Amino acid sequence: MSPAAGPDLSMFNRFMVTFRKGDIIFCEYEPGDTFYLLQAGHVQIVRIIGDLEKNIDVLNPGEVFGEMAILEEAPRSATTIALDEVKALEFNRENFEVLMMGNPQIAMRLLKLFIKRIYDQKRRFMILTLEDVEAKVADVFLMLAENQTMDTSAGESIEFKTSVEDMSHWAGIPAGQCREVLNHFVAQRRIELHPDKIVVRNINDFARFVGSRRKHQEK
Amino acid sequence: MPKAVQYRANSIIYFKGDQSERVFLLNAGKISLSYVDIESGQEMRDLIKTGEFFGVKSALGHYIREETAVVLQDSTVMVFSVPEFEQLASKNTRIITKMLKVFSNQLRRIHKQVQTLLVSDEQVNPETGLYKIGEYYMKNKRYAQALHAYKRYLVYYPSGAFATDVTAKIASAEEFLSRYGAGEGPAPVMSAAPAATAAAAGLAPSVAAAPPPAAAGGETSDLAQQYYNAVSLVSQEKYMEAFKAFKKIIDGGADAEYSTKAEFEMAKCLFYLKQFDSCIKSFTAIVQKFPKHPEMKDALYFVARSYGEKGDTAKAAGLFKKILTMGTEDDPVIRKVKKALRALEGGGKA
Repeated sequence: MSPAAGPDLSMFNRFMVTFRKGDIIFCEYEPGDTFYLLQAGHVQIVRIIGDLEKNIDVLNPGEVFGEMAILEEAPRSATTIALDEVKALEFNRENFEVLMMGNPQIAMRLLKLFIKRIYDQKRRFMILTLEDVEAKVADVFLMLAENQTMDTSAGESIEFKTSVEDMSHWAGIPAGQCREVLNHFVAQRRIELHPDKIVVRNINDFARFVGSRRKHQEK
Repeated sequence: MPKAVQYRANSIIYFKGDQSERVFLLNAGKISLSYVDIESGQEMRDLIKTGEFFGVKSALGHYIREETAVVLQDSTVMVFSVPEFEQLASKNTRIITKMLKVFSNQLRRIHKQVQTLLVSDEQVNPETGLYKIGEYYMKNKRYAQALHAYKRYLVYYPSGAFATDVTAKIASAEEFLSRYGAGEGPAPVMSAAPAATAAAAGLAPSVAAAPPPAAAGGETSDLAQQYYNAVSLVSQEKYMEAFKAFKKIIDGGADAEYSTKAEFEMAKCLFYLKQFDSCIKSFTAIVQKFPKHPEMKDALYFVARSYGEKGDTAKAAGLFKKILTMGTEDDPVIRKVKKALRALEGGGKA
């Protein structure tokens, strides 16, 4: 089967691996030494947080996953599961350069992916360096808003399909503490807590709050 | 077409906070990027080398500029739009692979910085983490996924703390999968206290005979299994056992990659086993054999610490100072060395 999009990769067929529906491609925490170019089918990325399997993303043909293995054999940061029959090209650090040399489009895609990862990690770092717990949680909302690339200038309320567990993960605080903060925000009428979403009444209010805390910290 | 633009000394090419889709290449002159380091909050300044691109990340990723590009001496700069840059790079993949290396280093660094800030319950040790994934899927009757996680566990931790438990769970999961199918079957009995299974693991010779895992997407070689097993012993602070496991890898005639790695790890174990003379000797041999060893700084770090432990603070300090010349502030080894050096100097005065 030819890839749905992108360059001709038929010369890499010897790197093709196939997974059946439901197969785990790799598990969170196992050492990673391979990365994949999805050629056909769909791959779900999940993390087990507490007692829940959290969907992080669903990948389509043409996308890359497991790319952190190019850097080092660090433990995988998520679990990947084949949603249907999946065909993927599997590479490791040794044959990576060969692939890049012959495929500028893939190399460019990977470059952009790394750029996004660097920004995501930097953004997360900014959240974690806030000392104030409320500011951390508020900043997670700001980060989520940035990722949704929405216009926040109007100051209208925004819905986030997120949960307390998710929020606590991003803020790097225990779920119990995160719930307390969110309840406090509810009491202040800054947010509404629903089972499947959190509504932020005025994201600019949080932006000012986080900004002032960050400034205060720099002094 | 990219165009060459002249900039006068003291002019600014772009400011931090600007949004622009321009990529620059320094042809001649002197330009620096100034930015605030996110970790220290300090103002930093990087010089651009001639022939080097800058402004790539923000342009390609559509982010605002994170730094201000200041012209220090009259300079000539090639200015590319993103499509022009992509066209150039697609004809010369070396440009991209070089950048990938730079970005991957940046990514690795920021990733480590983030990890250090996470509270402890966010940081799960990989062994427990992998086990818990198996447990999650088992509990939710997703036997195929549970089997995968459990089998991977045995690949990496054949004598790990949960190995006995995992071996038993594999048998149940296989039985439930064939008898009931996914999502069906009785509620699985979940684990006993890990401490109990850990104790049992040490007495379970059957563990090594666990069924070979059906590795999806690439078999992990026996050698890799052995190596990860030994590394896991190090993380459990079982240095003597780890030392023996690494030695077995080398004695077994492993390929160059694994025997080199194992040799390095053995030398590290010697330090933790307080065999400082042997540690110095081993690392010295490694460094002589591989003058460009990628973990040279780490090797010297352990040699220096060994001298320190032996009471030869002068030699230790000398080596620490040498390591400092080999890396930059953002390198974790350098930070470790600075700390060790401070301790050494503080100890000297006391």
